[in-house]
Amino acid sequence: MEKSSSGSFKVMAGEALATCSAACPVHTDTREYVARVSRGDYEGALDILLEVNPFPSVCGRICHHPCESRCRRTGIDEAVSLRMIKRFIVENTRAYRIARRKKAMRVKSDKAAAIIGAGPSGLTAAMDLALRGYRVKVYEKDTKLGGMLAHAIPRYRLPPDALAQDIEDILATGIEVHMGCSVGVDISFEQLKKENDAILIAVGLAESHSLPIPGTGSQGVFLGVTFLWDVANGLCPQLGKRTLVIGGGNVAIDIARAAKRLGPEKVYLACLESREEMPAWKWEIAEAEEEGIEILNSWGPKAILEKEGAVAGIEFRRCGSVFDAQRRFSPTYDESVTNTVEVDSVIVGIGQKANLDFLIGSPVSVNGARLTCDRESMATSEPGVFACGEVMTGPGSAIQAVGTGHEAARVIAHYLETGKILKLANKKVIDIGELPAATAAEARRFDRVCVDLTAPAERVKDFSPIEPVYTEEEALSESRRCLACATGAHLQFPNHCAGCLTCMRICPFGVAQVRRTAFMPVQQCQTCGLCAAECPAFAIDVLRFPTGAMKKAMVDSVAGLDLEKVARPFLISYCCVNGTTSRKYLKDQSAEEIMESGVLRVLVPCVGRLSVADLVSPFELGADKVAVVSCPEDGCFYPRVEDWLSRRINRTQKYLDEIGVGKDKLQLFRMEGSGDESWARIWAGFRAVNIETAVGK
Amino acid sequence: MIVADPKPFLQVKGYLEDFGKILVVGCGTCTTVCLSGGEAEVQILASGLRIAFGKEGRQKTILEDCIQRHCDLEFVTPILSRVEAEGVDAVVSLACGVGVNFLADRLGNVPIYPGLNTTFYGANAQQGLWTEMCAGCGSCIVAHTGGICPVARCSKHLLNGPCGGSEKGKCEVDPKNIECVWQLIYDRLKRLGRLDDLRNLLPPKDWSTASDGGVRRSAREQLYDVK
Repeated sequence: MEKSSSGSFKVMAGEALATCSAACPVHTDTREYVARVSRGDYEGALDILLEVNPFPSVCGRICHHPCESRCRRTGIDEAVSLRMIKRFIVENTRAYRIARRKKAMRVKSDKAAAIIGAGPSGLTAAMDLALRGYRVKVYEKDTKLGGMLAHAIPRYRLPPDALAQDIEDILATGIEVHMGCSVGVDISFEQLKKENDAILIAVGLAESHSLPIPGTGSQGVFLGVTFLWDVANGLCPQLGKRTLVIGGGNVAIDIARAAKRLGPEKVYLACLESREEMPAWKWEIAEAEEEGIEILNSWGPKAILEKEGAVAGIEFRRCGSVFDAQRRFSPTYDESVTNTVEVDSVIVGIGQKANLDFLIGSPVSVNGARLTCDRESMATSEPGVFACGEVMTGPGSAIQAVGTGHEAARVIAHYLETGKILKLANKKVIDIGELPAATAAEARRFDRVCVDLTAPAERVKDFSPIEPVYTEEEALSESRRCLACATGAHLQFPNHCAGCLTCMRICPFGVAQVRRTAFMPVQQCQTCGLCAAECPAFAIDVLRFPTGAMKKAMVDSVAGLDLEKVARPFLISYCCVNGTTSRKYLKDQSAEEIMESGVLRVLVPCVGRLSVADLVSPFELGADKVAVVSCPEDGCFYPRVEDWLSRRINRTQKYLDEIGVGKDKLQLFRMEGSGDESWARIWAGFRAVNIETAVGK
Repeated sequence: MIVADPKPFLQVKGYLEDFGKILVVGCGTCTTVCLSGGEAEVQILASGLRIAFGKEGRQKTILEDCIQRHCDLEFVTPILSRVEAEGVDAVVSLACGVGVNFLADRLGNVPIYPGLNTTFYGANAQQGLWTEMCAGCGSCIVAHTGGICPVARCSKHLLNGPCGGSEKGKCEVDPKNIECVWQLIYDRLKRLGRLDDLRNLLPPKDWSTASDGGVRRSAREQLYDVK
């Protein structure tokens, strides 16, 4: 970072992460995958996802998307729907994902590692270690891979085939998997120690906590994780007409919604927390309520009432507070206020714990029900034995677990190579900060593209997925809401800048400044590119879309043509990329296509960033006509751009008259509807117009 | 700042009819700031020349360059070297007249042509608009006129005004665009409480400090031995 003369820090792109990437536990390069989608490069977007996350299919369905929570667009209207874009990418690149798989890694080391548990953290670590050339064996007690993803997340949120896509990809790296092999039962921990140079405990929190209240042994009481496992495996637990779920977290919500799909007339969810305190995501709570689940807040279970050994109801007492002054879990109750709910079934979803029985008798230290583990080195008390995932962090998200899986692979690889513990640096992530309110106030608002979930009455009938994937048009549209934070204008050639103030005066967001030379604070720039277009020294460029690259692409395209054979008139059309609703016009044009159609399209993120030189140069390349096609009325993301563009076009038209080309050879068009609908019509119409060259006029 | 405007394209093209290899050179200071001679304008002019000559079936090599200032030898030297090394037949300069002269003195047998008409010493009145503020007369009188120059800003250069062509604060030469400077001077002195200064008529000006006294020089003794 360098300090600007105003004293504020000027964060340079590349040093600080965008807020979305910083918030993601694996720091997915969000801007880049979204930018690739907006250009129709879905395969390239998948490459970006897979760089850091082997579970993009899972995350596209169920991620709690901390990226969206920190999206700077929330300062303008609503966050970009990053999870839905991610899901679109994964679902539209299936064949590519299979094709891009490399052959299984060859084992390059004589060192071996065993991973206990095939959840997201264990599989991530296994894959990373396999890619580093170690022999990796994964031991999974169950007959499915994925851990809680396979057994605890109901299919309406995460269908098995969505998980399978990620797992198949991971397995292709060549890791060895032993399914149905429970460590401590089918193979002893000591045996694993003998056979391997390092062990990773990634068993997660696979068992439910029970409740220390009377009646929990009654028929009709279920433990949450067991219940979800049964549901996931098609063993429909028999619920009564009225079912009550205890717990206020996301797992409890999953249980309640799964229970609702098994047919009870009434499903309640009761928790200690008030509505505001509930740890479940608010959108999950809302969807549960839409499905008819009644939420009973601030009630603590006192006893499960039974009749002839079976559940008859549950008695609650009022919960006054859940946490003490230090925010520790320490509920207080008002015994004088009670409530009895008549139900036939009770499912306990108040939290999970690890099953560490396989460590009994081993030197690995366990403190109560918790594994002793150093968070920084991920090491347990026993050399060569490490831990990751929820067994180390406590309850968390899938993407968090993936993050610890990557870290575990790093520390294990270090241990295997050096025999030493690696303390992971306490990484301090710098992000670019909030979008300044003054900038946000200038930005135009565009509605987030939302999809309709299946109607509540329909969706509770079975476990079918309830959320449709974005259509291509929706995904493209939403991707363009991304502000492309910190990839905007910068002074590419500081010694060219004459400090003329044009950038500062023209910037529609009040971002550009001049202090001897121009600078555009990266935290604020909205990437419209107007300053670059008007800079008289061509000293400014836009990181996300360099002018030079656009010109080179155009020159290269023309160089590949036989100009004698191009259909005349040869039209070069600058089009706003935001007008496309499919890949029809986003894909590269072949020389044959250009020559046959007589149209070369050049897509730019905003045609407002075309300079006069950009508007003249196509004629130098041999174009007979140049069309500039802008967004539909009020469709431009940037304020006042259209006015500046039309002024630039007017100047260029006069110049074209002077140089003998004729002003009418350059025309500005406005799209009607989408580009897919209107561009071809615009091109055909413009090509058909007979224009006399205005030489000498 | 020195302000300059683009010459009509055909006039520039006309200078270059006989040359095969032409170098268009921009200036990164005054004419960049007044948006007539920077890197962007170099590209636009060069592109236009290629297109226009191309349409006549005449293939010429049009080279592009832009230097920080045309009025210092160190900045100009690379251009001189390039002209020689690449066998440039003619140079078009998008600097002010100073730059064109400075290069012409050093270009040997290679001709140079102006791409701009140098207009005045001016300031940026509004975005995209510059107005004349100083005439470079070599003997500044604005101490007597509230800091406002009648030499540069009066259409008649009157030292004691206004004339009869001043109406509602505007100059009869172009009432839409030119303000009467003597109205401005009056208003300014009034605000300063110095209207009485107008009773002291300015004597006839000695123009020998302006160009009438011959070609002017300006020396700094700490760096240059004055002859």
